Formats: sequence, C-alpha cells, structure tokens
Amino acid sequence: MKNSKKTLLQKAVILGLVASAISFQACKKSFLNVAPAGNQSATQFWKTQDDATKAVNAMYANLREWKNIAFAPIAVESMGSDDAEKGSSPTDATFMNNFHNFTVTAGEGQVSDFWAGQYQTINFANQILGNVPGITMDQGLKARYLAEAKFIRAYAYFRLVRAFGDVPLRLSLPKNASDYNLPRTAKAQVWAAIESDLNDAASVLPQSYASADIGHATKGAALALHAKAALYQKKWTDVVTYTTQVMGLGYSLYPDYEQLFRTTHKNNQESIFEVQCMLVPNNPDASNSQYSQVQGVRGSTGGGWGFNVPTADLAAAYETGDPRRDATIIFRGETTPEGDKIPADGDNPMYNQKSYVPFGLYVSGFNEGCQQNKIVLRYADVLLMNAEANNELGNSAPALASLELVRARARAGNAAILPKVTVTGQADLRAAIYKERRVEFAMEFDRYFDVIRQGRGAAVFGSRGWKAGKNEVWPVPQNEIDISGGTLTQNPGY
Amino acid sequence: MKRIFTISGLMLLLLFSFDAAFAQNVTVKGKITDAATGEALIGVSVQEKGTTNGTQTDVNGLYSIKASKNGILTITYIGYATKSVPVNEQTTLNVTLQAQANELAQVVVVGYGTQRKLDVTGSVASVKGTEISKQASVNPISGLQGKVAGVQITNSGSPGASPAVSIRGLGTVFGNVSPLFVVDGVWYDDISFLNPQDIENISILKDASSTAIYGIRAANGVVLVTTKRGVKGKPVINYNGYAGWQSVTNQVKMANATEYATAINELYTSNNVSPVLFSDPASYGKGTDWYGQILRNAFVTNHELSVSGGTEKVTYHLSFGYLDQDGLAKTNNYRRYTLHLSNDFKPVKGLKLGYTLSGLSGKSADVNGGIFHQLFGVAPTLPVYYKDGAYGDPNDYHTGDGNNYNPQATLDFFNQKSRNMRFTYNGYGEVSFLKNFKFKTSFGGDIGQAEVRGYTPVYAATFAQKSLVSNLDVNHSETRNWIWENTLTYDVKIKDHKITALLGYSAQNYRTKQLDAHAQNVPYVGSGSQRGSFPDTAKVTYYATPGSQVYTRALSQFARVNYSFKDKYLLNASIRRDGASQFYGDHTYGYFPSVGGGWVITNEDFMKDQKVFNTLKLRASWGKVGNSGVPINPSILTVSADPYLTAIFGTPQTTFPGASVNTVVPPTIFWEKTQSTDFGIEGAILNSKLSFEADYYDRKTKDAIYPLPILGSLGTNGGVVLGNQATIQNRGVEFLLSWKDQATKDFYYSISANLGINTNKVLNVLSGNIPIYQGGNGIANGQLATRTVVGQPIGEFYGYQVTGIFQTPQEVAASKQTSAKPGDFKYQDTNNDGVIDSKDRVVLGSPLPKYNYGINTSFTYRNFDLALDFQGTADVSVYNANIAYRFGNENFTKDFFDHRWHGPGTSNTYPSVNVGSTDNAKPNSFYVESGAYFRLRNAQLGYTLPGSILSKWKIQKVRLFANAQNALNFFGYKGFSPEVGGSIGNMGIDANVYPLYATYNFGVNVTF
Repeated sequence: MKNSKKTLLQKAVILGLVASAISFQACKKSFLNVAPAGNQSATQFWKTQDDATKAVNAMYANLREWKNIAFAPIAVESMGSDDAEKGSSPTDATFMNNFHNFTVTAGEGQVSDFWAGQYQTINFANQILGNVPGITMDQGLKARYLAEAKFIRAYAYFRLVRAFGDVPLRLSLPKNASDYNLPRTAKAQVWAAIESDLNDAASVLPQSYASADIGHATKGAALALHAKAALYQKKWTDVVTYTTQVMGLGYSLYPDYEQLFRTTHKNNQESIFEVQCMLVPNNPDASNSQYSQVQGVRGSTGGGWGFNVPTADLAAAYETGDPRRDATIIFRGETTPEGDKIPADGDNPMYNQKSYVPFGLYVSGFNEGCQQNKIVLRYADVLLMNAEANNELGNSAPALASLELVRARARAGNAAILPKVTVTGQADLRAAIYKERRVEFAMEFDRYFDVIRQGRGAAVFGSRGWKAGKNEVWPVPQNEIDISGGTLTQNPGY
Repeated sequence: MKRIFTISGLMLLLLFSFDAAFAQNVTVKGKITDAATGEALIGVSVQEKGTTNGTQTDVNGLYSIKASKNGILTITYIGYATKSVPVNEQTTLNVTLQAQANELAQVVVVGYGTQRKLDVTGSVASVKGTEISKQASVNPISGLQGKVAGVQITNSGSPGASPAVSIRGLGTVFGNVSPLFVVDGVWYDDISFLNPQDIENISILKDASSTAIYGIRAANGVVLVTTKRGVKGKPVINYNGYAGWQSVTNQVKMANATEYATAINELYTSNNVSPVLFSDPASYGKGTDWYGQILRNAFVTNHELSVSGGTEKVTYHLSFGYLDQDGLAKTNNYRRYTLHLSNDFKPVKGLKLGYTLSGLSGKSADVNGGIFHQLFGVAPTLPVYYKDGAYGDPNDYHTGDGNNYNPQATLDFFNQKSRNMRFTYNGYGEVSFLKNFKFKTSFGGDIGQAEVRGYTPVYAATFAQKSLVSNLDVNHSETRNWIWENTLTYDVKIKDHKITALLGYSAQNYRTKQLDAHAQNVPYVGSGSQRGSFPDTAKVTYYATPGSQVYTRALSQFARVNYSFKDKYLLNASIRRDGASQFYGDHTYGYFPSVGGGWVITNEDFMKDQKVFNTLKLRASWGKVGNSGVPINPSILTVSADPYLTAIFGTPQTTFPGASVNTVVPPTIFWEKTQSTDFGIEGAILNSKLSFEADYYDRKTKDAIYPLPILGSLGTNGGVVLGNQATIQNRGVEFLLSWKDQATKDFYYSISANLGINTNKVLNVLSGNIPIYQGGNGIANGQLATRTVVGQPIGEFYGYQVTGIFQTPQEVAASKQTSAKPGDFKYQDTNNDGVIDSKDRVVLGSPLPKYNYGINTSFTYRNFDLALDFQGTADVSVYNANIAYRFGNENFTKDFFDHRWHGPGTSNTYPSVNVGSTDNAKPNSFYVESGAYFRLRNAQLGYTLPGSILSKWKIQKVRLFANAQNALNFFGYKGFSPEVGGSIGNMGIDANVYPLYATYNFGVNVTF
C-alpha cells in the first residue's frame, strides 16, 4: 500500500513538473506580452483626425512653456535693449545683467534655454508636418493643420535667426543617423525657409475662425510675420506687399491703447497673433504661463517677481503727454486704472504694464497673471512696418499715412499731444518712424533686434559694451557645441 | 496561466494524501549547547545524513529524532560549525557546537538554499539578524553599514528616505543601482518595510557565480533576507522595547544677524547697489537661531512583542511591533505598526507546508520638504514673530529673494498626512520523494497601498506664505506584485562525490499605479484630518502621476549543479534563462551562466601535518548577470499628453487636450549584462581564532544603458536618449579579518575589520571620446559639474581650477578675466591660450569612494556586553553646491562668513559674498572638498540580569541595554554630511541641507 502511494506521488510530481513546464512554454509568449503602462505608444498615435488635432493643440500649448515665454525670452529678446533692465531685487538672478551688459558667455543657461525652447516648438511642428499627411481625415482641415504648423515653425526660426544668426535648420523629423547632428545653416537660407513656410501658410490659412477656434494662426498672421521676416532682410518691396495685403484684411487699431493689453480684451480687432493663456480652474499645470508673473509688480497679491523692468531711458523717450508712457510703465506709488495701489516703497521704480494683470484676478495655487495672453503680432506693427518700408523706398506719403494711424490712436482724440508727423525727408522720417516704433512697442520684445537690424547697435547700446561684429547675435550654447562634437561652431567673439 | 495554477493545485492535493515511510529504528534525544557558554541553542537543525529526515531543537535546545541506529546525525546551525555525530545505537546524544570560530564551517544562506561556507565557490557574506536589530536604527538596510566589505551604504539625510546600497561599485548608469532583495523567496527593490526585529539572517551575494541564479536582476548583487520562524517547544514570549531620541550633530553653523547684515551689505556694494540694505548691522545682534527654533531632540520609542514555539508538526512565530518616531522638525512624526506571522507544518513525513505573512501600517504627519532649505537660507535678522504675534515677514525686510519664507509659518501651515499599508505574503509547499529529491513550490507577493493627503487652508502668514483658496491634494498609489517559483532539488552523495542539483522556473508580475486628485475650496474638516475627503460638490481633477505607472512581467528557468569531491575540490555551475516584458523581439530573453571552483587545501593529505592553517581555501568564479531594472519600455516611442500641452482657444477661452511626441527613443534596448570574475582566498589560523578572507574582483557591465545628452536642436523634452552605449568596469579587492577569543574565563571578545577598495572606470561609451556632461542638479544657473569620459570614473567632478582670489581692480585689469571683480575667483588658463573658457576645465575629483571600511567589535565580560562598530570612507570627493546656489539674500554659513574675501589681503581662497555670481558659481575646485569620514556608527552596552534572580520570577532572561548611532563623527567637509549620494551623473553633488543626527536609546529585552 505504502509503495503504491509512493509511486502515485512520484508520478504526480513528475507529471506535474512536465505539465507545468509545457504549459509555461505554451503561454510564455502571451504572458510576457504586456502593454506598456502609462503613456500611449506612438505607433497607436497618428491614426485619426483627433490625433492630428491633439498634436496641433500641443504645438500651440507649448508656446506658453517657461522657456518660450518667461526667463529665456526676457534674457535673449529684451535685456539687451535700452528699454529694459533686470529689475527685481539687486541680488536675484544676476545673470540677467550679463545680457544687459553684454558679458554673456556661451555657458549661460538662458541662452541654451532659449535655443532648446525654440527647437521644442520646431519639433512639435515637424511632428505634424511629418505625420499628419498620412492620416485619413478631412482634407481641408488637414491642409489647414499643416499650414498652421508651418506658421509656428517659421515663428520659431524667426526667433532663432534673429538671436543667433546661422542655426541648424531642421525641416523634417530625423530619420537617419546623419539627420541627428546637423551643422548650422547660413542665415540667408534660414530666412528663405521661413519665407517659404509663410508663403505656404498664407495660401491655405483662413482669414478668420469661428469663435471656438479663435487663437489659431490666420492668413493675416502668416502675412504679417512674412512682412516682418522681409523687414529684417531689408526687402522693402516685399514688406510693402505683405503689409498692404494685411491692411486689406479688415484689422483695425484698438481704440484704447492701455486696454489693448488687458485680459478683458484678448484677441481684439488689432490682434493678429497671440499666445493663448488662461487660468484653467482646477488645473494649474495647464495654467502654466509665467509671462506676467516674472514681470509682475513685486509686493503684489500674487507675488510678482519684478523682472524685465522699464528703464529711465524709456520713460524719457516718450513725447510729452503721450498716454502710451503711462500705459506701458507702472510707476511705484501709482494707482492703476484697475484700482491697484502700487506700494511706494517697492523694490523697483517701474514695472512692465503690458504684462500686468489686475491683482484681483489672482487665485492662490496658480501662477500670478497666468491669464495674460502674450501678443506676438498686432496691427500697429503692420502699419509701422509699412511706414518704414515705404519710406525706405522713397514713398513718404503712404509712410506718413500709416504712421499717422498709429499716432492718432495713441492720441485718442487729444489734439494737444502727439502732433501729426509731416517731415518728408527720408532720413528725418526714418528717425520719426524708429522713434514711433520704440514707444509703440516698448517692452514687447522687439526693440533690441529692431535697433540691431537698423544698424544702430553700437550707437544705441555701445555705452553698455555692445560691440559691432560680435553682439549682433548671442553665443551658440556651449553645451550644444560640446554635444555636437564640434559640428556646431561658435559665433565670432564668444 | 490559469492552466498552470490548476495543475499545480492538483499536484498539491495529491501530495497531502501522501504518507512517506522510512526505515527508522531508534529515537535519539539530546540537548545542543554552545561549546563556549553552555547556553542552549534554539532552532538547530538535526538531520540524518544522506536522508531528508530531520528536526530542530526547541527553545531549551532539546531535540528528538527517529534515526537509523547506525546513522549519522548532522547538526547544523547558522553561525556555528557543523558537526556530524554517529548514532551508534545510542538514544541520548548531547552535542556542543563551536560558535563561528571557523568561518568556513558556518552554514550560509545562498540562492534557493543553504550551503556550508566551505562549499561556497563565490563571495558570500552573512550578517546575523541580531547584529541589525540591536542597532539604534529602524531601517534594516541602514544597519548593514560598515558590516560587509564591498557593500557601500549611503544614508540619505532626508527624513524617511531609504539608504542607497551599492555592492562592488557602480555598475550601471541608468538602471536600478540597488541590489535585489529576496525576503523569504519574494523579490523586492527595497526592504525598508521590514521591522529589523523580525530578521533572522541576512546573506549578501557579491560575485556573479553566487548571484547568477537570480540572473534577471542580479547585476548589482543580491541580498537574501530570512525572517524569523518558530521552533519546536513551549511558547516563548519575548519583549523588546526601547526609548530614546535623535539629536542634531555636527551642525553647520550659520552667520548670525549682525554677520548676515554685514555680508548682505557687502553683496549690495559688490553689485554697485546703493544704499545698502542694512544701515546698522550691529543693531541686529545675534538675531534668530532658526535651527533652534524649528528643530528639536526627537523622541523615538519602539516596542516589539513576539511569541514562538510549536510541536513536531506545527511551529509558529508571531510578532507585533510598534514604532513611534518624531522627526527632527517639530510636528514631524511617524508611527508604524508591524505584524509578522509565520507557520510551518509537517503534516506527514516528507511534506512541509508553510507561510509567512507580514503587515505594515504606517502613518505620518509630514513636514514640508522645503523646510530644511528654508532654514539654511532664512535671514537671521528675521524675528519668528512680531510683538503683536504676527509672523515675521521677510518681505518687510526686503530680504526675500531666495528665502522668502518664515520657516515657522511653513511648519504651522503645512498639513500633509501620509498613510501606507503593505501586506506581503508567501506560502510554500515542499515535498521530499525518491530519497534524494525535493520539490518546492512557493507563491508570494506584495500588496501595497499608500495615500498622501495635503491640505492648504485659506490663510495669510507672510507676503509669500498665504492662500486665498483652500486646496486638497491626494496622491494614491497601489502596488500588486507576485512571484511564483518552483524548484526541484536532487541531493546525493556517492562515496566521495557529493552532488546537489537544482532545477527551477519562476514567473513574476509587477504592477504599480498612481493617481493624483486635486480640488479647491474644500472646507477644513478639523484637526488635520481630511478623512471627510472631497465634498460631494467639489470639482475634482484627477490625473495619473506621469511616469508612475508600471506593469512588467518576467518568466525564467534556471538550473544549478554543486559538486564536491572529498570536500577538497568544489565545482559550481548555474545557468538562468530570463524573459522580461520590457524588452522586445529578439531581446526578450537573456541567458546568464556562471561557473565557480574551489580548492580546500587544508583537506589535502599533504596538509595534514601542518599546524599553521586550520582551514585554507582558494576559490575562483566567473559569471554573467543581467539588469532589467531599467526604465519601463525604453525603446517604445510614447505620446506625451502632459497637462501643460493643453491648448487654449476660443472666445470665451476654453481648453483643448493636446498630445504629441516630444522624445527620441533608441531603436532597440536590451539587457545590461554584467560579467564578473572573482578570485578569493579564505581560511583560519591560530586554532581558528583568526579567520581571514580576501577577494579580487573584476566586474564589467557591458551594454550599460546610458542616457546620452542629445542636441537641444532635436527639440525633445529632457534632452537625452537612452541606449546600450557604455561599458563600465569596477575592479577591486576586499579584505576581511576577524579575531575571536576567550581571554579569561569571563571575558570573550571579537574584533573584525573589513575593507573594500574599488576603482570605477568607463571603458567605452558610444559617444567615443566626446565627454558626457551632467550634474546640473543643485548647481546654480544650470551649470554642469560632472563629466563622464572613457578611461575615467563615471561622473567625476569637472570644472575650473581656482588659483586664487582677485584682490584689486588693477589685478583684474591685468588678468585674463577682465570682467571680474575684486573678490572673484581667479581661474587657471589650463591650455594657455590667453582666454579663460570651458576648454580650461580640469578633473576636480570623483564622488565614488575608493575605500569603504568598517571595524566591528564585541566584548562580553560576565553579564556585561559591549559592541562598538566603526565605519568610514576615504579617497572620495563631494561637491558643496549649497555655497553658490543663491538667488539673492540667503544667509551664509559661519565658515564662509569668517573666511570670505572682503577687501585686499583678506583671503586668497574664499571669494567675496558675491559667490553666487555667474562666474563665481561656475563649477570649480573651491566647491570640491574631501568627502572622507570616520565615525562610531554603533555603540551598544548591555547588562543581563543574573539567572539566580530570574528563576524566582520564572523569567528566562532580562537584558538592559543602551545604544547609540553616529555618536562620534569625524570629517573635514564643511557641509552638513559627507554622505551625499544622488542620481548617477549628479552623484556627490551636495544640495542637501539635512542636518546629520545621532540616535541614543535605552531599552530592555525580556524573555519569558
């Protein structure tokens, strides 16, 4: 009896082992086939119209991201100008001073942040341009999405080329090993690529959108940016061509210059392209714009950081009585039109009013001022580009007409201020337009590059150390050069 | 899968009905005692040689076994020399065992079994549970520090964080760096959840031939933990309790208010700002002692009650533990309840069944993680409270930048509670059959659940510390892991040949999920409890914590053969085949072989007459192991749908979810494979009083997964791409010497010293000679402070060499750094090109210690016992990043203030207070300091009450003890602690501001 039990056990064990081993072999394929947890696999993406829409959304959303809207743009696009200086407390983020004093070196973190931020935008655009064509979807919408991606890509390259000059030109997703490490492409070719993208975009994009889609790039945006690209290349005829086209699209100046920048007047009749921001209830991650916060009044409810403050030089640049001075600069001790009292003993004498969000809109747990859109292109810019180009071409009459539109709005019916400009000599009118451009767009991240493209860098910034032959561009980030193993070269003088 | 379970279930049922029978002739009884002390030994294994027939001694050291009258009993006990005693028809056999005098005769736990240390061909170290549990440490890993050569434990200063463990150097760059922990057969990443009191034994497998049987996860070594089980006998009740406190030691002194005001004024002047901030620095006096205000001597108390016992057929061990530990910061507290239950059954001969259940419930009142940084930065000029009781507000003093917080307000308004429940289980069945075979199946796992609830009330404390709405944030995580293992063992001795063969297969499943929830305007429920959770009307946002979702599986087969001939020649070979779900296609499976050989020279005939060596053994091994502890599905390109990619369009504005691809992944990723070779010599001399062990190892990780920084122009988020793109070598030697002696009748002592010397080197990286720069964590302005390049250790510090401090404007003007200011660092023009730039950077040191050592001693005199453990590292550097990580008006350390440059001739080594400027904050030699330290890690004094008193009370044993951890620390480093750690590439960069602490406890241990 005992023996038979033993045999039974032996059989059972051996049978069990064999059977288990076999079933293990049989099911191991499926056992190990586990779907990745967390994020969706890219192979399941790029299949539907909804995927294309999401990718377009992500591209726009990325424009609000820190590197694209906060410190890096302040450093690279504003600190060098004569309109702005570091602000905040004297000892906070002193690296900003290196941009103001032109002592920036290639290792500067904001330089690489700005570089990376623009290329992140370019990647989002290239993802769309590379993958959306293969999706079966509404043909009209597909064409529009591709055009929007081209517009955004052109905008990112525009920011790169004016900041760095020659840059690696990525117009598609990398496929082969050689696509990863691209050398710098000559500035002229980068400009050509920008113009080509904008041509394509303008031919497809609609003039306007239904209310739910406002904020997407329009034909007007593509043309206005194209005009600006031409302006930087001194292609005056093109500037006139594109600005004239925009001027036929029904834009008009917003009557109240100060209110133009308030959250209550987002996407108004003057607006051509804005980075859309809002306070998304219960979602601080989507309410991530720090554009207003980093420039906000120190000592305010939400705690502005007070960087990128107007200079005394800017405050003195306005004609007597120009309302734009008070609309651009928050002075210590003033009360804003929205009723916020600015402490008289604050750290800084002035703050940027164009990024100002009334303190009452602050919600704890969110970045202060995360509601503020950043205006990228507005109609006044088109008018002053038109004026500048016409004057360069010797057409003072249309130049004066465009200039007057801008001044008239600023004047707001007060005949005692901002008299109509009547000079017709090219040099005098040029000076008037330059000056108008400065005060109209002060603190809007163009002044520094305007002065350089006008060839006046040494004259305007020289006292702070700006040197011709070097400071027309910022250094290429050192870490980028290191990683490229020398494929990337440094700008002269750095 | 279902099918497998059904089959084995059926199999187990069959086994239950089985009653084995063996020829048994006599019942042998006896007592087993310690040869030196005469103390009864509990749980000693008594086995009839050549059979599976065996028993264990009870609590009084007694055993009873039916054995063949001509059989031989093998007596084995962990930590004691194994003895074989012939029965010779006797019925009473009292045996004395020699305590671990001869290390080689010890029994050690190895992968899937136990072995005599003599038979081991690899490098295995064993630590008794009591050595861990008698320390003043509530974390079992931390208790291993300094105990084993080649095992580096880095304690994190951060409250509640687990220490980092590395065995024989850093073998991976991106994968899991910590060893595999196997607790009673179940695999874990971490054993912090274990109560040290429940640990019986810890075995550390260091070389590849010991670890290869765990192929899939063995690349960083394996730590085997055996928890306590019951032994036959009357119930034994044991109580162990202590109370004590933690207090800050080696505190970094900060500048006082007057010094602070002076320094900030200098900072303003240096930046050409006038007027300065403080018109009369002296008027502030000493100011607030913030560390004194916020930190305390933290109380800790721990109680453990266990009962164990059993019969021939059933044994049990049950324990309850309770820990109540305060944090150094006031309001911080952790409470832990643990339960451990194990049962073993022998229903019939040849069959063993058993299970282990462990439960943990932890609760903590958390402290804001930022508080230590706030303490480090806060201005001493700031009062804690104003006269009217309001919080002192940094904004009122314009000292806000970088330290805009009143730490007291942070403490008062931070309301976060964590709850952690963890249940681990393991059940096994083991059947012996056909005389030499044993089949074991075990299923175990881990069910964990944790919740962190943070509540911010509506409050206004200071300018920067306020909230206009209330917020409730809840993070919920769940873990469900299981492992099923089956082994078949064949054990045979044929004349002089001894063979043990093992076959096994195993399946594993790991799953973790995390979910975050957030709502605003949640009313306060009271007394810090948010049990009321989200009100019905609250609009709650849920999202998965990015990167937190894990789902992986593994399937493995393995085999091993141990062969020994006449106990002289040893051979050990194993192979494991592993499949892991995170690798795809051809790379799903990996093979991990190993082979080891040993020669016990003292068992040779020609050694018989020599008197020098009691034992002497040479061994050598080679093996290949894998590391699957790499990011989940690293080669799958995934879509990011992070909340920040939500687009906003429309009038009125509304949100549109966004998603796209913003990473680059490598086309394939496969296992990291570590090959290691080990040569060892071990033995004992002087009547086995002195034992020694030395190892040389060479450990190469091939195809190490390495994150190469990639061009920013690729536009990715994160800027790295993973790939199997590096080969890393760790080479070193380990020494262990231990002396154990009885000096007089009443005095025993032992001293052991261990030393590990390791050299880490990158042999090859895909990027070739292009260095990889990392180490931006905690470094001002995103500068990179480490470099990894072929021929050098991973992540060595790299930066400018400081040659002095500029004293005057004239000196600056004449230098190569014309934009510098007096008081700034003067950098070396290494390449002599007349320009100071990134090409001038040099190697500044390595964060990987070359030497790790420990000295462990114990002394017993009559009823007193004393243990002192020392431990340290040498030849290691630390990057003191806190000095230059400044946003503005943070406080300075007293050391910096006292030595700073503040005018020509005041210092040629320390810079001015403008140390945080872009140029001064660049990684440079000033910030790299020696990280060497030496400490009295543990000290313990005990007194056991004499037996004469106890017998009256029917108590077996009462021992009173006092212990201390980190009581004495010696180091030159100027930060808080030279134990820094950090992720690879950021290792050794000290951005910690956690004060080092010492622990002192007093306790009692009672056995009934």
